[in-house]
Amino acid sequence: MKEQNHKINHEDDRPVVPIAGIVYGDIIYWGTITATFIVIAGSVMTFVTDNNYIDPSYLLSSIWEGRTVEQIWTDAVGAQPNGHWYLSQLFTGNGLMAGGIALGVFSVIPGILGAAFMLFKEKQFLFGSLAVIAAVIIMTAIVG
Amino acid sequence: MTALLKRVPELTLLILVTILAYTIMAAFSQMSGTETLTPMVAWAIVIGSFVLSTIIAIVAVLGGVGGGVIFTPVMLGFTSIDTLLVRSTGLVVAMFSGLVSSGPFMRKGLADIRIVFYCAIPIIIGAMAGSQVAIELSENMGETGDAIVRLLLGGILVFIALMFILGGANTEYPKPKKIDKLSKKLKLKSGYWEESLGKTVHYHATRAGLGSILFLIVGFTGGFFGLGGGWAVVPVLNLVMTVPLKVSAASSGVLLAIGNAAAIWPYFMKGALIAVFAAPWMIGQVIGGILGAHILAKVKASFVRNMLIALLILTSLKLIVRGVEGLLGIDIPLL
Repeated sequence: MKEQNHKINHEDDRPVVPIAGIVYGDIIYWGTITATFIVIAGSVMTFVTDNNYIDPSYLLSSIWEGRTVEQIWTDAVGAQPNGHWYLSQLFTGNGLMAGGIALGVFSVIPGILGAAFMLFKEKQFLFGSLAVIAAVIIMTAIVG
Repeated sequence: MTALLKRVPELTLLILVTILAYTIMAAFSQMSGTETLTPMVAWAIVIGSFVLSTIIAIVAVLGGVGGGVIFTPVMLGFTSIDTLLVRSTGLVVAMFSGLVSSGPFMRKGLADIRIVFYCAIPIIIGAMAGSQVAIELSENMGETGDAIVRLLLGGILVFIALMFILGGANTEYPKPKKIDKLSKKLKLKSGYWEESLGKTVHYHATRAGLGSILFLIVGFTGGFFGLGGGWAVVPVLNLVMTVPLKVSAASSGVLLAIGNAAAIWPYFMKGALIAVFAAPWMIGQVIGGILGAHILAKVKASFVRNMLIALLILTSLKLIVRGVEGLLGIDIPLL
């Protein structure tokens, strides 16, 4: 592990910020902001068009009435989904919103891998490996 | 505020686009009313969720707890929305302020990338297990399961509040009495520029082994209850591993994002995350998360702690009452 990532810059006594952290933070930051714009577009589409996978009025009413997730899906499309249902519905309001949220969550993967690359480059093999393991576990969760 | 908006143009753009979008949604709504909700009420719920979410995100980022700690107990305590739905949306609320604040925190050197990756593995494994168990419990135990969830969550919140109270003011810059062998080997030491003191604060994390065991438990409860786990990440980093409070808060947000990125997928794939409900909460978390991340460097940490303690105690009371009501079938006239 290199100590130089944490050495002090004597000019103003401020510690040098590790580049791996900056790479990680920037990828996730911009990924999340992009995802947010997609979710906003999906929200507008949901409200101002009738191009929706499930009627949003029905969804919001059912949620507010305290109906269970299973009841909501069963009454709307016949069964609860079991997988990435939104991928085939990306051109509908509901699908675009869900896809945007999923993209925001997914941005963690390139963020971690980018940071891992920088950590390996700095010869911080332990923390680089931990980052790769974290990315693999999350990808396993995505695949289901 | 104006200076911040000038310094962070993407935040300005996000706020403007959001305002425009919600205006268009109100003016040109094609939604049909139902017996429960008129189109206007539906819009009001969406805009109300967005505003609340933004406020929660600012508080959550300042406290390093993740918005789920506020959102999930409040929704479970004060609404009749399905617990699985609340918990899945709670993870969105818990993680998005953490996701977006990762950028500013890492650039300022407040979040420690090595501590984050060291703690991430146990949190992720625990969170995935927790969310799977939550879905199983919901499918098999119905209303009794809901009551048990509320009661347990109420108890956990009391515990969290006590941890913050007993931690006291000495936790802002803790000094370890002894650094154990594992922590020395991992070299979990660093420093950050403390703006409120005008100097660099150096630290060396300790008890790395105990920390990783605790993070496994934290991850499980976070995934199970939809709290995100941030409630305990700060105390474990700060009280157990002796990391300064501000670094704990910032690293917690980043850790939350990683842990919840794994926990959220089982909910997502089972349709337990309904986008029309979760979207305004997500947007609010992103805008509030950026605001909170830029404010954190300047505020007194004790202010945030006191605010959180009050909120946690109030919400835990309501949750315990609702849990007991659900289990015993009685009505307790409180709150």
